[in-house]
Amino acid sequence: MNILVPHSWIKEFLETSAKPEEIAKYLSLCSQSVEKITKTDNDYIYEIEITTNRSDCLSIYGIARELAVILPRFGIKTKLKKIKLGQIPENPVKNLPLKVKITKSSLCPRFTALIFDNIKIGPSPKIIQKRLKKVGIRALNNVVDISNYLMVELGQPMHTFDYDKVKKATMILREAKQGEKIITLDNQERILPQGTIVIEDGEGKIIDLCGIMGGQNSEVDENTKRVLLFVQTYNPAIIRKTCQLLSFRTEAAQRFEKGVDPEGVIPAIRKAILMFEENCNAKVASKLIDIYPNPPKPKKIILSSEKLNQVLGIPFSLREAGKILKSLGFETKLLKKKLQASPPHWRYEDINIAEDLIEEIARIYGYHLLPSELPSGKIPIKPVNKLLMWEEKIKDMLKYWGFFETVSYSMISKNWLETLKIPPEICLKISNPLSLDLEFMRPTLIPSLLNVIKENENWPEIKIFEISNIYLPQGKNQLPKEISTLSIACDGNSFFNLKGVVENIFKELQIENFNFEQKIPNSLFYSKIFSSSYRAKITVENSNIGFIGEIKTEVLNKFGIAKKVNIVELNLPEVIKFFNPIKKYSPISNYPPIIEDLAFIVNNQTKVGEVIQLIKQISPTIKSVDLIDVYKNTRTFRIVYQSYQKTLTDEEIKRIREKIVEILKKKFKIKLKS
Amino acid sequence: MDNKDKIINLRNQAISKILTSKTKEELENLRIKFLGRKGEITQIIKEIPKLKEKEKAELGRLLNETKKIIEENIQKQKLSIDKSQNSQNNLVDVTLPGKKPPLGHLHLITYTIREITQIFEKLGFTRVRYPEVEWDWYPFEGLNMPQNHPARDEWETFFIENLKNSKYGLGVLTPHTSSGQLREMETTKPPIRMLNIAKCYRRQSDASHAPMFYQFEGLVIDKGISITHLKGTLDYFAKQYFGPQRKTRIRPFHFQFTEPSFEFDVTCIVCQGKGKLPNGQKCKVCKEGWMELGGSGMVHPVVLKNGGIDPGKYTGFAWGWGVERLFMMKYGIDDIRLLFSGDLRFLEQF
Repeated sequence: MNILVPHSWIKEFLETSAKPEEIAKYLSLCSQSVEKITKTDNDYIYEIEITTNRSDCLSIYGIARELAVILPRFGIKTKLKKIKLGQIPENPVKNLPLKVKITKSSLCPRFTALIFDNIKIGPSPKIIQKRLKKVGIRALNNVVDISNYLMVELGQPMHTFDYDKVKKATMILREAKQGEKIITLDNQERILPQGTIVIEDGEGKIIDLCGIMGGQNSEVDENTKRVLLFVQTYNPAIIRKTCQLLSFRTEAAQRFEKGVDPEGVIPAIRKAILMFEENCNAKVASKLIDIYPNPPKPKKIILSSEKLNQVLGIPFSLREAGKILKSLGFETKLLKKKLQASPPHWRYEDINIAEDLIEEIARIYGYHLLPSELPSGKIPIKPVNKLLMWEEKIKDMLKYWGFFETVSYSMISKNWLETLKIPPEICLKISNPLSLDLEFMRPTLIPSLLNVIKENENWPEIKIFEISNIYLPQGKNQLPKEISTLSIACDGNSFFNLKGVVENIFKELQIENFNFEQKIPNSLFYSKIFSSSYRAKITVENSNIGFIGEIKTEVLNKFGIAKKVNIVELNLPEVIKFFNPIKKYSPISNYPPIIEDLAFIVNNQTKVGEVIQLIKQISPTIKSVDLIDVYKNTRTFRIVYQSYQKTLTDEEIKRIREKIVEILKKKFKIKLKS
Repeated sequence: MDNKDKIINLRNQAISKILTSKTKEELENLRIKFLGRKGEITQIIKEIPKLKEKEKAELGRLLNETKKIIEENIQKQKLSIDKSQNSQNNLVDVTLPGKKPPLGHLHLITYTIREITQIFEKLGFTRVRYPEVEWDWYPFEGLNMPQNHPARDEWETFFIENLKNSKYGLGVLTPHTSSGQLREMETTKPPIRMLNIAKCYRRQSDASHAPMFYQFEGLVIDKGISITHLKGTLDYFAKQYFGPQRKTRIRPFHFQFTEPSFEFDVTCIVCQGKGKLPNGQKCKVCKEGWMELGGSGMVHPVVLKNGGIDPGKYTGFAWGWGVERLFMMKYGIDDIRLLFSGDLRFLEQF
């Protein structure tokens, strides 16, 4: 939470020669971060980011208290001044009644109230109005301004009621029932959730949405004569929950949900008395009502010298540590090789363990004074993550084969799922999506790549890929499977270009026993989005590792793509399982190879891949088989024969050739072209 | 014609043909014609054994001489062909574009992740990967942020429908890589030097916040790890990534899962840490010369305990910073959403 702090207001509590830039710099280095300094008429306004643990700094005084410790460490003489406070009369002349009932003490750790008489409503003094304006609060009248002013100055939110509107001078602090209503000061009717802290008056009306905003029915107005000043602390968790459920948060609520110091209540009331007397000509007209059943018990935290030195990384004397803590308001006691410290009441909630003390000591000593060193311990022995390694290698391959890497959101729309014939019910759904475009965790990268192709429709030749997780649910109480997936897309008639890319990736991984099978199970969405001719399931040793195909026109149309698109999607962990780290070495033959081209007449059932596989197995003398020409129903294969023992004779070649022809005829019913 | 004349004729014939030849192929054919295995000179050599002793010696000498002369001429002609070809080459327009092999582009995020990884690998860190869809325990509860803790406000979290574990809570998209801390502690005994680079998700979208983004999380746990080690490690990174002249500093901050907690700053790369540009204007990129890189801190004892590590024996430090923030600073990219748009005109530049 950011607060605005005028330099002139700090000076009311601080005797210092520090310049505004120095204050900003040193406060940032040792305490809270000054995000901005703005210069306005003869003043500087600091915008300070207060971390959630430091509610004690959510005030002008809190910041001054920090500066009084920090600035002297940089050689700037600084002294914290005493706050001027009024007196709470033991026996006021008038003692107006107020009956208070708190149904549950955990709702309100400290409840105080004081009544003022003889109020004359009017504008606040100029200085009050000016200061409120500087911190972004509009001045209203002398009564309401006091509560806002003191919230900013001391960090204690407070509320003022018109005493005469609190019927039967009775307040019952209780939890709201589901559906109860209140019209708050901003003229909004609010329907309250169960458990909201509220105050009911003697006629059963809810007159306050506690800690958040007062009710309109008890508001101070220009006719108000008597004011009930109300200063409390509330259970932070309940205030927070109510704000969340109502989607409504005020500055007071932001402070209460971070915790307000119950010991700060009395000084706030005493300062208020002074201001009521001076600004409103008012008189205290009741005894102080102070319900505070469980004041916090003192905390003792022990810090050992060993721990302190270990975390700081330098030897640090406990005496010096104690001095720093003392300057921050801690009570300290030096024990044998240990320091005992009790936090001041304004840090009570925040300081609990030895590490908390170390933080205080180190930040005031100055983090900048600690040396920088690399850890000197043993370097852990941890095997390389093969998946991560191959992801990077494959990215490089694709880059150097001309592909663009894209990164797109993991979340996609229901519409995209339906276009790809994927039932949304089987996908992981976000219950609070930012928009309907980002509602489901994608079970495939295909729609994202199609979208990139659509978005770049004027690009001449699109070759893109992405490596990202896909998410597959595994039931209500198990995390989904996250599978690192490689998808590559090309536009145009690129089925075999893409297949070649996949084959080359396999070659780099030294995977040999792969197959492209045209049959894709009907249950898979791939079978529904790939054209019936250009499609294949990719397997290695009977494991399914991916799918390749040309996207159907009907699917492309829905994405607004006018050209053809081929996509391959590979399950990377499955692919990598088959990675063969051992390179096969075959000695280089001293005898020349014989190269021969054989043309076969094929029929429409012939699968060239199977033919090549079969020829290779016919003789160890066959070094390689490649398809070199396709013409009508003729397929020409280039066969390389080579022996390690001798120069092959025509007769030996002839025998192998005859065997090839015979086996192909038997197995595939295809003939050698004569 | 006797053998001698035959040889001389052959020699002359050869020389004239060699001198008029224009290509290396032609020359090679001539070499084969005269000196090859079945060449004309070779044929005569084969005849020698049939001759008388006296003639043998004379002819042998002549043949050797002829062979030598032909070879010399072939060499000479070869050089002269080379020379003339070179002078022709001088006329080639070398400004014509070359024939390029295909060249694609990796995403800026990939390059940055690699750069980060390389720097930390030198210090013995190993890259890991943990779930993006996580139980509440790992990014929140186990990191000392119980339900309804105000600190949770900083992480606007996406929840998954119908996903709940009785022990670990609701299913969420992890809003930071710190969820990997407990995962690492569960599987690895100290010493730990973890580098977790991953996608994170938060309900946010503007020029500097995308609902999906990357963070890199470091975790070091060992005996005797101190704030000085945190400073040293992060300072090393900043100098490696942004340049050796960078200065760095840590400032107090607050996270529930570290104690003490810090904000880590590096001197601005635009104004060189001066806070002002050469023209006297205030630098817009930084705050008074410092750029915030992100949060860090000493691992909270509760977190160590939740990870099954004895906080009495071990201490550690951790940081979790935005990957995009690094290169947006470096390249001056001002809209994070451009990164995930798939615009090839953007991707082509890296």
